[in-house]
Amino acid sequence: MGVILRNLQKQVPLRRARLRKDVETLRHILGIHKFDLGIVCVDNHRIQQINNIYRKKNVPTDVLSFPFYEDLRPGKMPLPLHRDEQNLGDIFLGVEYVMKQCQEESLDLHETLTAVTAHGICHLLGYRHETEEEWTEMLQRENYILSEYNRLTGRSLEPLMKRCSQDR
Amino acid sequence: MLKSVVRAVGAAVRLSSVATSTARTLPLSCPTLCSPSLATTRPFTRSLWMLNNNGASSGYRPKLFSSKALNPSISCGCGSLHTEGDKAFGAFLSDEIKEELKIQKNNNLPKMSGGWELALNGTEAKLSRNVAGEKITVTFNVNNSIPPNFEEEAEQGQQKSEEEEVQPEIVSSPNFVVDVTKQGAKHSLVFDCHFPEDEVSHGEGEEESDIFAIREVSFQPEGDTDWKENSYTLNTDALDWALYDHLMDFLADRGVDNTFADELMALSTAVEHKEYIKFLENLHGFVKCN
Repeated sequence: MGVILRNLQKQVPLRRARLRKDVETLRHILGIHKFDLGIVCVDNHRIQQINNIYRKKNVPTDVLSFPFYEDLRPGKMPLPLHRDEQNLGDIFLGVEYVMKQCQEESLDLHETLTAVTAHGICHLLGYRHETEEEWTEMLQRENYILSEYNRLTGRSLEPLMKRCSQDR
Repeated sequence: MLKSVVRAVGAAVRLSSVATSTARTLPLSCPTLCSPSLATTRPFTRSLWMLNNNGASSGYRPKLFSSKALNPSISCGCGSLHTEGDKAFGAFLSDEIKEELKIQKNNNLPKMSGGWELALNGTEAKLSRNVAGEKITVTFNVNNSIPPNFEEEAEQGQQKSEEEEVQPEIVSSPNFVVDVTKQGAKHSLVFDCHFPEDEVSHGEGEEESDIFAIREVSFQPEGDTDWKENSYTLNTDALDWALYDHLMDFLADRGVDNTFADELMALSTAVEHKEYIKFLENLHGFVKCN
């Protein structure tokens, strides 16, 4: 298994190979390559629907994570007993929402999607940002991931702090 | 989400707003055919009728066959069989055609964006475009392109009251073949694509299939319509996902992406509906025999 990538939307032209490669790099950095991971790209309508159902927030957003392990302590790796537990969960990327942000801030879509995905993976690994303490802890982890990503790829990604302060 | 909407309506029955206009069923629900007055009228077989025909070579007519009740009630001199059943069938078809024409949104087929040229040959459609020295053609057939799970939906629909029941539309989602031909090349790269069936997750009703997927990839002789079985065929069931993504990106660069797939479904649905109406009209003409 590995990364299961689904593109369920038509608003944003996506480069699937590029997105997969970037997600694989993030998995490598985090040492989670033996875990399956779902990446589902959706439009504003769909992510708003999911946001409303699961978070009671009837607005579109950039990313929603659905961890397989719901009570992980941040930084602790899951300990799967069976093959079907080698799964971190699913990340829904609101690619239409992200594209709009990119247009407004003149950012590259796929680079931004990588930063957003890193944020989503952190949630799958137990990180939260409901308190100041949690926020700092998560930000530190994201900083580490993206600095490693930048070192490996020569890019210069930064955590999306502004957006992270609004969304889980 | 688009896909879920498409799939929801894809699992539908062609139901008109009028109760008597039904889905593509045999006209068993036609009140006239089920009325007690006709219950005794047995449908003829052609061989029985030929025995009763005035032109039958043997002059012998058993009494049974001279019964007035079994004679056809309509005659047009064409020499073919006409029964009360045919008359009812014709009337049913006439109503059905009217209803189908009513729900036909537009007689013109929807346009594909991206400069695709459309050529139709009956139920077969061919879309083609040239991109910088490459020729891309997409072919599909609207026959058998309606997802088969509409019966279940119809049963569920019957449990609802007419007020709350929303009549969904049929959506045609045919398999389609993409040929990419480079200038001067002897072989085309051929992609066999399809619209995946729903992966219904029973929890939240979410499904996570791509809008369309590649099933097989192969090199085939350019311009040859027959699929050469001795050409290596890459099946995507057990494929490196990175390779699969590159193949999808390759198609997207040539205009075959989710937007295209969505428009193709709309086009196929319109073509299918048009062909269905044409078939009903032919059937009506055949049954009426004029």
